[in-house]
This record gives sequence, structure tokens and C-alpha cells, in this order.
Amino acid sequence: MSSSPLRQRPALLRISMVALLMLWSLAPMLWQLYTSLRTPESLLAGLAGLGGGWTLANYSAVLQADPPFGVYLLNSTVVGALSTLLTLALAIPCAYALSRRSDLLKLVIGGGLLAAAVFPYVLLFLALLQVARQLGLANNLLALCLPYAGLSLPLAVLLLQAAFADLPVELEENALLEGFSLGQRLRWILLPLIGPAVVSTGLLVFLFSWNEFPIALTWLSRSELLTLAPAMARIAGSSVFTVPHGAFAAATVLGGVPLLALLLIFQRQIVAGLTQGAIKG
Amino acid sequence: MSLLLMAPALLLLLAVFLWPMLDYAWLSLQAQTVFTGLKPVPVGLANWERLLGDGRFWQDAAQTLRFAVVSVGLELLLGLAIALLLHQSWRGRGLVRSLSLLPWALPTTVMALGWRWILNDPNGPINGVMQSLGLPSLPFLASTQLAWLAVVLADTWKTTPFVALLLLAGLQMIPTDLYEAFALEGGRPWQGLRRITLPLLRPYVLIALIFRLAQALGVFDLVAVLTGGGPASSTETLALYAYLNAMRFLDFGYSATVMLGMFVLLLASALLLVLAQQRWRGARP
Amino acid sequence: MINTIASGAGPTGDLRLEALNRRIAGRQILAGIDLAVAPGECLALLGPSGCGKTTILRLIAGLERPDGGRILLAGRDITALSPGRRQVAMVFQSYALYPHLSVERNLLLGMELRGVPRQRRQQEADRVLSMLQLESFRSRRPSELSGGQRQRVALARALLRRPQVFLLDEPMSNLDAQLREELRPQLRAILCGGEAPVVYVTHDQKEAMGIADRIAVLQNGRLQQCGTPQELYASPANLVVASFIGRPQINLLDRGDGSLLGIRPEHLQAVEEGGVAVRVLSREWHGASQQLTVASPHGDLRWITSGAEPINDQLRLGWQLQHEHRFDLDTGLRC
Repeated sequence: MSSSPLRQRPALLRISMVALLMLWSLAPMLWQLYTSLRTPESLLAGLAGLGGGWTLANYSAVLQADPPFGVYLLNSTVVGALSTLLTLALAIPCAYALSRRSDLLKLVIGGGLLAAAVFPYVLLFLALLQVARQLGLANNLLALCLPYAGLSLPLAVLLLQAAFADLPVELEENALLEGFSLGQRLRWILLPLIGPAVVSTGLLVFLFSWNEFPIALTWLSRSELLTLAPAMARIAGSSVFTVPHGAFAAATVLGGVPLLALLLIFQRQIVAGLTQGAIKG
Repeated sequence: MSLLLMAPALLLLLAVFLWPMLDYAWLSLQAQTVFTGLKPVPVGLANWERLLGDGRFWQDAAQTLRFAVVSVGLELLLGLAIALLLHQSWRGRGLVRSLSLLPWALPTTVMALGWRWILNDPNGPINGVMQSLGLPSLPFLASTQLAWLAVVLADTWKTTPFVALLLLAGLQMIPTDLYEAFALEGGRPWQGLRRITLPLLRPYVLIALIFRLAQALGVFDLVAVLTGGGPASSTETLALYAYLNAMRFLDFGYSATVMLGMFVLLLASALLLVLAQQRWRGARP
Repeated sequence: MINTIASGAGPTGDLRLEALNRRIAGRQILAGIDLAVAPGECLALLGPSGCGKTTILRLIAGLERPDGGRILLAGRDITALSPGRRQVAMVFQSYALYPHLSVERNLLLGMELRGVPRQRRQQEADRVLSMLQLESFRSRRPSELSGGQRQRVALARALLRRPQVFLLDEPMSNLDAQLREELRPQLRAILCGGEAPVVYVTHDQKEAMGIADRIAVLQNGRLQQCGTPQELYASPANLVVASFIGRPQINLLDRGDGSLLGIRPEHLQAVEEGGVAVRVLSREWHGASQQLTVASPHGDLRWITSGAEPINDQLRLGWQLQHEHRFDLDTGLRC
């Protein structure tokens, strides 16, 4: 900001560091974008044929495939949204009750939640798959919400519990004196006040459910039911050597854009949720 | 009342986390394969005996550990550098922060597919650059020496933003007057990093370490899509091995045993980490 | 006119606390508290922090349950009643205004959820808003108000409840000294003299004397004395009450016979002979009077005088017999 010679060198250093960071973070996605807009021949020609060879054919191929790519996006959105709602519906009462206790049970539950939040959930897929088969939930898109909510609950409860605990207790006590029922207190006083925490928790749950792979992979086999993650894997698994790179790239771009939008719109809430999770958890 | 409010969430949690472990404990004592007609048949500790002598399991365990240690180490170093950069105040910092979070937000399978093309031999951009520099192109995904490094690269790319964000939150908790007092005492900025920043950042480093190590030891999505565990199982991880046992070899009893074995190894490493942390804490008054 | 709001409540009666006990984690917070507050009377609970005065308030409100004893309101035992059904209103130390709602919504929400018809609740809210001169702030959020304005909103909300008891927990402690003095008579005019008993918790004896009809002094969970401000000042029942009521603090002289002699600083006067010989150590200028600290054979004494004795001046101080208080050295009781 200042033009003194002493300050210029750090600024220059910083600009180059920031540029490097952006290159590192975005270059892979930009390369996908570039690839998705090129014809197969021009890709094999290397950097020489930059003049021509631009095309939207990759996108139309992906969007008109069977099933069209949009179906995966829609499936992921539906599962993500429903899982988020289910998680919040279960986590909010639990977090509220937990925040109002101060006994051994709270310590036990809190410790269990912490352990579960760190647990590599991929270990659970086989047993969950067996349960799904027994209950006839395989190939049922909406049933995915159950394991997703279960897996998201530890972090969600911890985050919301911390938010409830941060509220001044007199606010609820006053509502109690005014004769509000538990539902009224939550609806009119507590939830509006922890709104930001609810939003950031919901976003984290949505991102998890949108991206989840092993359970979706094993529960879903009908291609029109696939969510984005297993669909990508299926595309990748189709062949390693005769790959239609352009179409793949178009798929990654289409799969990435919704998240980029989400990230840019809700960046503050997502960052808050992530860091709160670390600090409070 | 309070229990009633917690009950639905706790029941689902038990169903999703505790039930599978109990199920595996039972399943690991059964043979349930194509040879048994996919019906469970009690076999005692046969699966466990097989596990102890299973070279592929132990090789995968070593590979998983190597991957986790190297990539989490890289992520911590890079993440700290990025956090320090983002901690300074400059115009456009917010936008850079959210853009640099993009790799973390993308589905692993989406970016794994992307990396396969980027690392492609010979048509990917990295090999394109190598060729234009007159270097031989490298078979990143086809070489047993290079493939695990490719997995490390892709994982580091994806999860460094998460680590950076945690450490950034830690940096923001350090009161600036500490640095001012340090400067008044004649300390140089880089000394401040060592004497103030790093010690006060330790809890956050620890959180990032625990979270990331647990996730890295359970890595599945990335390997499944990027390399499929190949070439020649050189990038296969325990989670992938368990998955293959169940879904490809249809050996459910043994798959459950592998998962339990993996769980035991996880617990052991968690214990080691706790002990190491206590030693570390004890070493400094 | 002001009192009509407070008295608009339903049938009210006196509040009685009988042998209230409260233990938390094995520690006795309250022991055998007996108190009664008449309709329209303002009782101040006075004591140092941790003496249990806020706990009494919370027991009356139902936010905590006693481990023994009863709470009676207009003759009805409300000990087991949930807070929402007791018809008590409380002004919290922090005011507990809902931060996400405007002043007006803060007032309306309670009536809305209690099912008061729309027109009626708007009428009521408008009435207290104008009574407390809050009309121009009705659409502001609590964070946009000054401390004094927030206190008025909290009062307004309490008034709207049409409670059978008013509870106030240190409502002045977040305000600066000057504002406190201004608000004291206002608060008294709004709350007291209606039909609901008022219980007012404070650690400031001046505030208690200024606002309350009677004061209950508490220490370590025990009631020390309960009476009008004049009674507490004129005949404190024990050393605790003697040193808590009256500023500057009462002087205590060891008589050497197992008793302490208490003399208030304002009752000392310079005498020609007799009394005790003292030397002036320091002084604080108060305007109309000054407070001197003087050294005596019995230790340092506080003395309020309108004279202008210089530092190091040597003189004799005496007092009239009617102003003597005597306390037992062991029990602390008046004797």
C-alpha cells in the first residue's frame, strides 16, 4: 500500500505467493475447463494447435448421454438437501438438550460424538450395505439420507451444541417466565439466534452428502439413480485407455460448477462452520 | 425430557456407528463367500489367522501408513505457509481464501478423474510441459514408483485448504499485542514465528493432524478412482482392500475381518499419537 | 396514572417464603429463609455477591427448585409450579432482551404467544411504550439502544406480563452512577405502590435504601435482618448489618470487655474534653462535608464533618449515648 522502498519487496513477494497459491488451487480445474472445450484431435496435437479446435460438443455429449448428466446433479442435489434437513431435524433437539446438561452423560456423549466425528466412516460401508439389503433400501435414492444423516450427526451436534451453549442463558429463562413452551422457545428465540451456526452446519452436511462416495457406490446400481460421485467413478471405470478426455473434462466441470457457486455464495458460512468445528469440537 | 430430545439422534448414531462394528465382530467369525452360497457359516478364528498371514493386508497397511504420513506432513507444511499468507491483510484476501477452498469442496471422485487426465502419459499437461522441455514423459499412473506419489499429490491438493483454514483460525486467535511486545523487546519477525506463532498454534496443528490422519488412513474415494489401487496393488489401501474383498471377491467374512483389523490398527496409532503428544507436552514445562 | 398499569393485573396478594433451603453440589446456598412481601410493597434483598440473594429471586421465579420450604403467592403454594405458570416477571441484570427482535417485537412476542388478541396487544404495547418514553425507539434493535433505554424496554416487557410478582435482579448495575440516581425515583414510581409485590436484588445499600420499603440483608445464605431502611440504620441486629448499612462504614471500637462499640462516622463530633484523642491522617472532600480518617488509640476511625480540620490536627472526638451500638464480640449480635 505504501510506496516506500522498504515495503515494496514484501508486497511483491506476497503478490507472487498469492499468484502461486491461485495457480496451485485453480490450475487443475482450469485445465479441465480448457480440455472440455477442445476437440479430441486438438488435444492430442499438444500446445501447437491452439488456434482452432474449440468446441462445445463435449458438453452436448455429456448432457445428452443416457442418462443425461443432469440426472446425476439432480440426484445429488435431492439427496444432499434431504440429508441436510434430516440431519438438522435430528441434531437440533439433541444439541439443545446436550447444551442444557452438565453431567457425566454429557461428557460420555460428547466424547462419543468427537470420536465418531473423526472416525473414517468408509469402514462402515459393508454393514450398512447389509442393513440396506435386508430392509430393501438398496437402489432407493431417498434412503441414502439415513446413513448420510447418521454420519453427519456427530459434527452437526457438536457444532450446534456449541452454538446453543454460547447463548446467554437469561434469554431462554425470560422466555420461560413469559410462559413459552419448548417449541416456542426454539422457534422464536433460540433458533433465530443460532441461525448462522445452523446455516454453516447445514452447508457442511450438504457438501458431505453431495460428495459422498463409498455408500452411494454400494447402495445404488441403477444408473438413473446414481449421485454425482459414483457416476464419475463409473465414467472413469468405463475404460482407461480409450478415454474420451474431452467428455470427462466436461463432466468434471459440470460437477464442479455447482459447488463453486455454493462456495462463492456461502464462503463466510462455510469457513465459519469449518473453523468452529475445529475450535469448539 | 432431555433424553427424549436426544433419543432420535442417538439411536441413529448407534445404528450407523455401533451396529456395524458389532456386525463385523460376528461376521469375522463366519465364512460367507460364493463357496458357502453367500450364507454365513461359522469358522471360528480362521479369518483372523488368514489376516495375520496375509501379505497383501500388511503390504496395504504399510502403503496406507506411508501415504497418510507423507501427505498429512506435506499438507501441514503447505497449509501453514498458506495460512500465514492469508493471515496478512491485503485487498482481495476474502476472494482468494474462498477460491483456494475450491479443491476441498469438490467431490473427490470429480477431481480424481481430473487428475487422471492431468497426469496422463503422454497427453496430459504435465507431460506436455516435460516434453517441450526435452525431458522424457513420465508414466505417473503406470509406474509402481510414481503412482503412490500421484495419489499423495492429488490428496495434498485437495485437503491442504482444509488444513490451511484450521491453522488460519488458530492464527487469528493469537493476540497481535504479543507480536508488538516481542518487537519492542527487539525480536525479529522470523523469530516471532518460531517463539510465538508455532507454540501457540500447537493445539490447532494437533487438531488438524488428528482429523487428517484419521481421514488419510481411511482413504478410499481417491485411490478407487485415480488408480484403482494399481498398478500391481502398489497404491492399494486397507479400505480399498476391504472393499475389494467384499464387492469383487464376494468374501464378506474376510472383508469384515480386514475392516476390524484396520480398526485395531487405527486405535493403536491413535494411542501412539496420544502418548507421543503427552511426551511432547511433558518435554516442555 | 403510572400505577394503573402495574395494578391492572389479576387478583394479587402477598408473597411468602417459608423456610426456603437450597443446596448446590453439597454447598448450602440458602438456609431457612422466611420472608413476606405485601402487595405493592418493595422488598430489597441486599448483600455481598454470593450471599444467595439472586438464588432467592430464581426460586421465586421457578428457574430453580428449593431443596426445602415453600413459596406462597396470594395464599397459593406455587413451589412446584413451572415458571411460565407463576405469572412472575423478572428484569434480568443483563436485561435479556431478545437481540434479534425490535423493541416493539420484544414487547409483542410474549402476548402473541399467550394468545392475546392482536388489537389488544398492540394497544398494551403502545401504552407501555409511551409510558416509558420509548415510542421513538420502537423499531430499533436492543443493540442500538443505550443502557438506560434497554433497562426501560426490559421494564416495559415486565409490565406487559401483568405479573403477580415483580422480580428485579440488579437492574441498575450496568448503568453509570449518575443515571442510576436519576432512574431510582422513576423505577420506584413505576413498580411500587401497585398491587403486585416487588422483590429487588442489589448489592448497593444506597440503592436499596432509596428504592425499597423494606430491606432484607443476607450473608452466606442466611437472613441477617429484615426491616425498614430506618430500622436497619438505627438498630442493626448484628455486625454484618451494621457494616452493610450506612456509608461510610460504621466505626467499630474494641472495648476490651468482649464487646464492640459501633459509632457511625456522621455521629462523631469534636469535643473539648472526654471522648478519644485523635490525629487527622487524611481527608476526602465531599463538598458540603468532608470525610476524615483519624488515628485513635482504638485504631483508625472514619469521621464525617462539615468543619475544615487540617491534616495532622490533633483533637478529641465524642458522641452522644443514643448513637452508640454495642455488639457481642463472639456472636456479632447486638447487645
